[in-house]
Amino acid sequence: MNHSKSYQREHKGATIMSILKLENLTYSYDSSKTKVLNDITYEFEKGKVYAIVGKSGAGKTTLLSLLSGLTTPTSGKIMFDNKDISKIDRYKYRSQCVGVIFQSFNLLPHLTAVENVVLSMDISHKKIKHKKENALSLLSKVEIDENKAKRRILKLSGGEQQRVAIARALSYNPDIILADEPTGNLDLETQDEVISIFKKLAYEESKCVIIVTHSPTVAESADERYLLSSIN
Amino acid sequence: MYILKNALKSISRSKGRNILIGIIVVVISISSCITLSIKNAAAKAEEQGLESLSITAQISLDRQKIMKKAQTDGTDMRELMGNYSELPINELKKFAASDYVKDFYYTMTSSIDANGDLKPVNTNTSSSTNSNNNNNSNRQFPNNGREIPGGMGNQGDFTITGYSSEDAMTNFINGTCKITDGEMFDVNKSDMVCIVNDDLATFNGLKVGDKITLANPNVDTETYEYTIVGIYKNSNSDSTNNNGMRFSTAMDPANQIYTSYNTLKSVIDKSAASATTETDKETGRTNTTALRNQVLGTYVFPDIASYEAFKTNAKIMGLPEYYTINSTDVTNYEQSLVPLKNLSSFATYFLLIVLAVGGMILIVFNIFNIRERKYEVGVLTAIGMKKGKVAIQFVTEIFLVTLIAIIIGTSAGAIVSVPTANKLLDSQVAAQQVQLQQQDRNFGRASFNNQQESRSNGVMPNGFRNQTISYINHVDAIIDIKVVGELLGIGILLTIISSSVAVIFVLRYEPLKILSERA
Repeated sequence: MNHSKSYQREHKGATIMSILKLENLTYSYDSSKTKVLNDITYEFEKGKVYAIVGKSGAGKTTLLSLLSGLTTPTSGKIMFDNKDISKIDRYKYRSQCVGVIFQSFNLLPHLTAVENVVLSMDISHKKIKHKKENALSLLSKVEIDENKAKRRILKLSGGEQQRVAIARALSYNPDIILADEPTGNLDLETQDEVISIFKKLAYEESKCVIIVTHSPTVAESADERYLLSSIN
Repeated sequence: MYILKNALKSISRSKGRNILIGIIVVVISISSCITLSIKNAAAKAEEQGLESLSITAQISLDRQKIMKKAQTDGTDMRELMGNYSELPINELKKFAASDYVKDFYYTMTSSIDANGDLKPVNTNTSSSTNSNNNNNSNRQFPNNGREIPGGMGNQGDFTITGYSSEDAMTNFINGTCKITDGEMFDVNKSDMVCIVNDDLATFNGLKVGDKITLANPNVDTETYEYTIVGIYKNSNSDSTNNNGMRFSTAMDPANQIYTSYNTLKSVIDKSAASATTETDKETGRTNTTALRNQVLGTYVFPDIASYEAFKTNAKIMGLPEYYTINSTDVTNYEQSLVPLKNLSSFATYFLLIVLAVGGMILIVFNIFNIRERKYEVGVLTAIGMKKGKVAIQFVTEIFLVTLIAIIIGTSAGAIVSVPTANKLLDSQVAAQQVQLQQQDRNFGRASFNNQQESRSNGVMPNGFRNQTISYINHVDAIIDIKVVGELLGIGILLTIISSSVAVIFVLRYEPLKILSERA
């Protein structure tokens, strides 16, 4: 595996903080009693890249939705910073604490790339100076130049949209990055670059990066892998 | 702040849809502007008109009340009516002492016959032209149906009216009558002088300084000599007293003789002193040969509030139960507002319909709008924007579009509201006139006053009641801060109505559901 840049984890004897903790997490859809996730207990730490792998229908995206606070568990808890996320303001949690890179990007098509990024900064209510410049800088890090940054989303390719989604997730400096198949639309070279960005975020900025993926390459590059198996 | 920024971006992005919403709101605004202007004009016309109106009122017998009492008690209506008569002048003067009364004047009216060579002007062939035909049993007193107390007497050829004040001579004040030769009599004197109509003067070859002799219609030998000090022209003399029908020569404007109250009072007193009376054995009623007379007291009030206060005050001052205070000025003014009020009432219904239909169209538009933007709601809430804020953004968009449209609509409405309101008012006035003319035809009256006038109960100087109203048929600058405020209120109301559905939709949407449906 040729990564454009490789990172070594440096624990330096420090205690690794658990940022996200799953406690007996169980989830089933309202319409059926069938459990999608059953009694999962797991801890995610800062400074690590995690890969959640599993077959289709294993509940990977559901787990990501639970972690991002878009839905709540049927039973069990998700603890963020030792707080049950079902009991905190989940809008605030989503806008400040986690950055989500959706599989289908979920960017606003009527806005430009830079406007999408700035909007996330606005919604987070975090004090960020020079939002537009910051957004352009973030976009340039994911290889979206200023010219493309000023294009509307629909005028960008799938790969470019993916990168805008990554920039948006990073825009308000969240502690956790959740990515659902972040390399699905990318060529190998760009895929490596994206993985490199995630690693940098984990190792240099002490973020907790959780990637849901089918890709064995991405899974292998993660520090830890969690295999979700189908219940049925 | 970013909500406003997003809202503005969203407005500029969906130009077509927002222009369409804007057009609907502009139409609503123009309609509302015209409607509110009319309502405002009607309210102002009523308020300001009454404020500036010098109000006169009379105390009269409340016959309706007496009749009702007779019906309730089962007593004889005629007998009960016979127990009451119009208040005498000394009683009327008592109420003039009220603090609310600015001025009080009165007139005395009597019917009197020609004597000697004097002949009344008579253009009506159905009436007697014989001035000496004093025994005509069909004669009646010219008091517009108001019975002169003291039993029925013979009617004379002339109506003589005595005035206590020049203020009471409204026909001279409003210019209907003008002195063309000589001068006006002194209202304070009792000097047996009078003024006569120019038609009567020409007909009899009379001039200023001549003497005329008038007689009691009940007693030929009881005569009174007056000196003519002035000749007047009545611009309404040529008409047949407006209603095309006249029952006696005494009602002809040419046969109106005017004098001072004191002069006529002295004649009436002399007549009463020399009168003989007899009691009808069958009816038990006492008939007298004295000249009949009618006194009409007029109270003047500075404003409507004083008039209303006087109504209460007069009761405290001892106005008997079966007497009522009414003002023909107030009635006339209220009548003159009828077309404007009708228009205002119609405008209110129109406004409600426009708002209901417009509101519904906007609701439908917004439902489609929100459904189209479901994905946007999903993304915004997924990245942490609270549903309430998304709803505020949507409401802001609708409000901004509505506000701009209302500003445009109000400007356009301000330009078109005055001509439109006046055009609509003209139609109302015309409709009102047609209705009244139809009524007149039904009552066998010839059509009259076909321009801006119709019936009312104006008191003529001679005590007769004329019927003319000047309808308010023009309204001016009627867009004021109140109307603008009301329009803004309508804008806010429309925004609330039309965005309420949007808000409900937004609050119902779950981001995960929207995004998973989309994926």
